[in-house]
Amino acid sequence: MPTNIGIGFSQDRDVELAAQSAAFLSKSNLGTDKIDFTLVFSTVHYPSQQSLPVIRKVLNNTKLIGCSTAGVILSDSIQAHGIGVLTVSSDDIFFGTGSVNDIASQDPHQAASFLAKKSLSDFGQHNRGTFLFFIDGELKNNSSFLKGLQDIFGNVFPIVGAGSSDDFLFENSFQCFEDKSLNDSAVGTLIGGNCHVGVGTRHGWRPLGKPRIIDESEGNIIKRIDGQKAINLYESYLGQDAKELQHNKRGALAILYPLGIHVEGTKEYLLKNAIDILPDGSIVCQGDVPRGSEVHIMIGNKDSCKQAAVEAAQEAQNALLGKQPKLILIIESMARLKLLGRSAFAEINQIKEIFGHSVPIFGMYSNGEISPFQTIEKFKHPHLLNESIIVLGIA
Amino acid sequence: MDNTLFILLSFVLLFVIIVVFALLLIKKSDTISILTGTLNKLKTSFNDLDEQAKLIVKTDLELNRAQEELDKRIGGLESLQKISRLISTTLDEDEIFHRLDIALKSDLGFEKNLILIYDKEKRIRVRSEDGFSQDELRFIVSNLEKDSSLIAALGEGHTFSSVTSPAQRKELIVGLFNVEHFVISPVLTQNGIIGMMFVGNRSNALSITEGDEELISILANQIGQSLENARLFEQVFTSSQQLETKIQDRTKQLATALEEVQKISKTKTEFISAVSHELRTPLTSIKGYAAILMTGKLGAIPDEVKARLEKINTHSDNLVKLINDLLDISRIESGRAEMNYGKCNLLAMIENINDLLTPQMKEKNITWKTELAANIPEMFLDSSQIERVFINLVGNAVKFTPIDGTIQIKAELDAEKVTITVSDTGIGIKEEDILKLFDEFYRVENEINLNVKGTGLGLPLAKKIVEAHNGQLWVTSIVTEGTNFHFTLPTKKEDVIKKESLET
Repeated sequence: MPTNIGIGFSQDRDVELAAQSAAFLSKSNLGTDKIDFTLVFSTVHYPSQQSLPVIRKVLNNTKLIGCSTAGVILSDSIQAHGIGVLTVSSDDIFFGTGSVNDIASQDPHQAASFLAKKSLSDFGQHNRGTFLFFIDGELKNNSSFLKGLQDIFGNVFPIVGAGSSDDFLFENSFQCFEDKSLNDSAVGTLIGGNCHVGVGTRHGWRPLGKPRIIDESEGNIIKRIDGQKAINLYESYLGQDAKELQHNKRGALAILYPLGIHVEGTKEYLLKNAIDILPDGSIVCQGDVPRGSEVHIMIGNKDSCKQAAVEAAQEAQNALLGKQPKLILIIESMARLKLLGRSAFAEINQIKEIFGHSVPIFGMYSNGEISPFQTIEKFKHPHLLNESIIVLGIA
Repeated sequence: MDNTLFILLSFVLLFVIIVVFALLLIKKSDTISILTGTLNKLKTSFNDLDEQAKLIVKTDLELNRAQEELDKRIGGLESLQKISRLISTTLDEDEIFHRLDIALKSDLGFEKNLILIYDKEKRIRVRSEDGFSQDELRFIVSNLEKDSSLIAALGEGHTFSSVTSPAQRKELIVGLFNVEHFVISPVLTQNGIIGMMFVGNRSNALSITEGDEELISILANQIGQSLENARLFEQVFTSSQQLETKIQDRTKQLATALEEVQKISKTKTEFISAVSHELRTPLTSIKGYAAILMTGKLGAIPDEVKARLEKINTHSDNLVKLINDLLDISRIESGRAEMNYGKCNLLAMIENINDLLTPQMKEKNITWKTELAANIPEMFLDSSQIERVFINLVGNAVKFTPIDGTIQIKAELDAEKVTITVSDTGIGIKEEDILKLFDEFYRVENEINLNVKGTGLGLPLAKKIVEAHNGQLWVTSIVTEGTNFHFTLPTKKEDVIKKESLET
């Protein structure tokens, strides 16, 4: 039996009607009653504790994961309100799902191991392609969690993930597993079988000015750069405007000028958004920042963003070794949605140009992207990224 | 000696080494100096580049802000156009808010939207909302009702936003609506403020600009205009409904009245018919006995008696004619008249009329003129009844035309009918009399009528006869100049029959 993909979307004001409508549409587009896997992306306007039971009921209690998003990416549009449901039916592609709760209150490494093992046991004995997971976007330090996944799946196994997001309030995101709406959790699926998975990740920002060294850092907090308060880096470039970083947290400035951490042996810089500024001038980032790292202020624009999306798509396509993908999944930073604004869909159109317009596209806007960084040895080590786009093709 | 030489040579060698080292040091020092200079230059260049980078960042920031504002304005204008089109294509107030419910959420992109409108009792009502809990809405409405300062300020036509509001007002609005960034604008009509529109964001990442303020202000105006249009339409529609109801009521009343009139008319017709029949029988006897007496067979009759008997006979004849006319009218009205339709030459009939009335016209030296279309076909009608019409109309003309006057008969043919006009150069008829001319027993008050007896039934009967032939009879007149009686007769047999069958 061939692999079938069904995508449904609804933005009915009534949450249950929206869930029912999106699920029915997805099932109808799938064209078969046999459903092997369901992926749900929903904006936070639709409470998942109400929508998920409806979706599961319509889709015959199939395996389901998903999360909240700042917008649903579809083949023909980007929607800032609504519920998107992807269904997959295939004899070639297999899915093994799992979830882990209360991550913040337990050892992240152990939590990740638990998630990985649960997914593996559900997956069975098939060829493993990639591990796709969604984690609470407000968890600031994911390094240990990522290490926990790698320790189970192996260092050369591609791990792709996203931080769940909301409507830019950074307080309401959720994760979905079966018919349960979760917080402070991670949900994931191992994808594999007789299939090829290609991943491409880019951001499109370039370093600006002279490099500086992080003298002092603690986890995800940069305390001092070049012997001065960390905020001085921004103040030296932005002057008085740097105060906006404090007053308007996660605002335009943090998005436009992220920090770029140089990682030895890589071609690109690891982007980190300044998500908060502490009273002592320390910069709070999403994810760990090692002491001694070389740091730049980064600059980009809409064109460089769109070009990065093209490069990510090309990288994913190259990794598919000439196979035509059945589905393109996109995980993209919510910051890029804000930056690209009206031209956000132009970026998706450019990705469609690479894979062909008939390949279904389904995606979400995330608060933090997790992907193997573009390294000399590809798929070596997953990083928590900001302002990036991950294109994942399944053939 | 050898020792001395050795020491000397050693000194020389040492000197040479020192000199060489000194020379090498001097050379190294130059290189270090050059390298230090290069390093300093590189540092300066690096710093210069960093300074340039700072300029680039500032320029980039300005460009980004301009771009963001431009994007927002373009997006806002597109949304405005879409929403305006949506709400201006309906005249139903509820439908306007239903469409706004969907459009504000999906097109404007604010986290919170709220439209408050005054109801007829001047109470604030939530008509469209998104992003608020019921508790929040109750809190907002009750506070706005308690403290009218914000509404009063909006009533002056101001739009407030988190960008342009004074600190105190900003604090009030932020607290009331639980947002960080907002725009609030009055919904105005020609009669003043009817409500307000609010949009806002709690997230700092979604700040408001002056472009948003302008956009919401325009949109609130558009909503005001659409609501005003809807309300005006509602008023017109309600008035129209009321008018229609009144018309229906009045039509019912008129129908009832007409039914009543028809009943009365029928009763009248039946009464006249019955009475006429009852009168005609004794009248026939009176007339018969008078005639027998006048023959003298029952004995000689003195002249005086004979004169009286002749008067009885004449008055009896008048009375019989009156009763016959009444009977004819009632028969035609009730549809019981038996029309003897047949082929008829209208032109020949008019000639006969001329012959019949020539003596009376000669008495007054009246000129008789005809203007008869040559192509008038053979008609299908009751010739004796139509002859009565001619006699009546021409007789009236003779009666009211002074000496040396003119009577003209004109007959014209068009596609489906013949129109006959009987004109005279008589005294004419006043307009108020024309309206009643065809009422039964109505007689125009004039000198001639005072001296000449009549029943007031001739013209009504003529009208009834013409209408029984599916024709029309009407009159035009100018006082002192003359009168024209016009009547039409269908040329086609089926038109006459159709009328007949309808009546029966």
